[in-house]
Amino acid sequence: MAGGRSLLLAGVVVALAATAGAAWLHEIRPGSQPALQTNTARTEKTALPALTADEERFATTLWTVHREATRSAVALSFAGISYQTEDRDPRAFARKIEPLAKFFHDAGMQVRAMSAPASLSSAQSQYVEAMALYAGAAAEMLKFTENGDAQRLQAAHELDLKASEYVLRVGEVLWPGQYKPH
Amino acid sequence: MRQFASGFRSFAVTAGVAALASLFGPAAQAQQPVCSAWLIESSRFMNVPFGAFMPDRTFVPGSNKPESNIPSVDLPVNVGVIKCGSELILYDTGWKQQDYLKMTGSEHWAPLADQLKALGFNAADVTKVVIGHAHWDHAGQLSDLPNAVLYVQREELKAIEWALNYPEPHIRAINSDPGGCNRTPACGYMPLTMEEVYGKVLKGKAVILDGETEILPGVRIHPAYRAHTAGSQLLEVPTSIGKLVFGSDAFSSYEGIRDWMVANVQQTDSVQQFLAYEKCYKITGGYNNCVAAHEPLSYTDKYPLTKNSWVALNGGRMAEIALAPGEKSRKP
Repeated sequence: MAGGRSLLLAGVVVALAATAGAAWLHEIRPGSQPALQTNTARTEKTALPALTADEERFATTLWTVHREATRSAVALSFAGISYQTEDRDPRAFARKIEPLAKFFHDAGMQVRAMSAPASLSSAQSQYVEAMALYAGAAAEMLKFTENGDAQRLQAAHELDLKASEYVLRVGEVLWPGQYKPH
Repeated sequence: MRQFASGFRSFAVTAGVAALASLFGPAAQAQQPVCSAWLIESSRFMNVPFGAFMPDRTFVPGSNKPESNIPSVDLPVNVGVIKCGSELILYDTGWKQQDYLKMTGSEHWAPLADQLKALGFNAADVTKVVIGHAHWDHAGQLSDLPNAVLYVQREELKAIEWALNYPEPHIRAINSDPGGCNRTPACGYMPLTMEEVYGKVLKGKAVILDGETEILPGVRIHPAYRAHTAGSQLLEVPTSIGKLVFGSDAFSSYEGIRDWMVANVQQTDSVQQFLAYEKCYKITGGYNNCVAAHEPLSYTDKYPLTKNSWVALNGGRMAEIALAPGEKSRKP
């Protein structure tokens, strides 16, 4: 009987201790919770929806074109910069532009032929459009080398800016970490 | 007697020179152009591992050492606003955060034109824009400064073109290369930024520089080749608190300049970065007037040059660094 009482007493002590512990935990939680919530909120804000396997496959395939398209787009700008600041030689300018014009034309066809999941069909169309705009910019630059009409260069510049925005727009969906702080 | 006469003559010459110096020295100094300067936080890159920014400050778990107990830092992207008489100069232009360029992990961006307006300036009144280098987060928004003449080093442009055409892919690596391209010479130059640079060239609003140039009396561009990128350049500005040197990413960190540590290495030749620090010490007489592009302590007492600060658009901060005589404060 005495043993039973001690057992009961021990049970009460354990129950009290558990209650006190739970109360203590409850008390300290509000202090730590907001920080946790802030971190979670930041994670939610910055995390982008993961691509599905099909989307990932398309992103990887497109990347092979995108890699050269990025380089070629910068080369297009540099061809213009070199012409204006260095040689002023229309034929040398044309020689730089011609392969880029061909690249963007071919790249547009290549991307159009890719099989994209329905969820990325608009990204695919936008990338095709970007390649067409770059090709158009290159074509305008080539016309300038033929007739010297400076308006062509201005038109090319506007097409190029638009194309560059489109490419970034697709990149924001497929390769959001492409540009790091520099 | 002859010795006395000679001594007296040299004393008289010295005294005469001293008297002339005391008469004309301050006058000459007063006539030197003095500019006003502000700093704008274009945006802030959040939670960057400290060691990625400054290798000497790499976080060591459990360490009590002040140089290794900070895991991550928030890096402002600073833009210098300089007014010299009727000339309004920007040093760097930040970047343009749009729905097509959200840059995950970046906060507090506001359009440069709006930020200038908050300071009481008009983007169309910017007459000169000096870019420390042509990386996308320092040379963006150029097309929003329609009347500004761009100053860029030929070395910067040449090096990008060289790297783009290099036959070895590790050298010509660009931002679409798997695994990143941080340490490669063509990295960081996005097509949109380079087209904006070309836009300035096309409109006849670009000056391609070969080395040191004075763009206004006392306002001098100093090349700092390879101190961050191939054609990095500094800007010396005379102000009422002494000369300032804006350094873009050659001076990524004020603490780095003070404590002699490299920062934001990427395409940097560390010896050249230290020589750029040294140039600031030489020009300004110390490290306090070196204006850093990404110093985490910016806009606080711990970076004294920038402590006269306030919170402006979208939580971005601004600082009033120095005012020319007669220039009114633009701090709200």
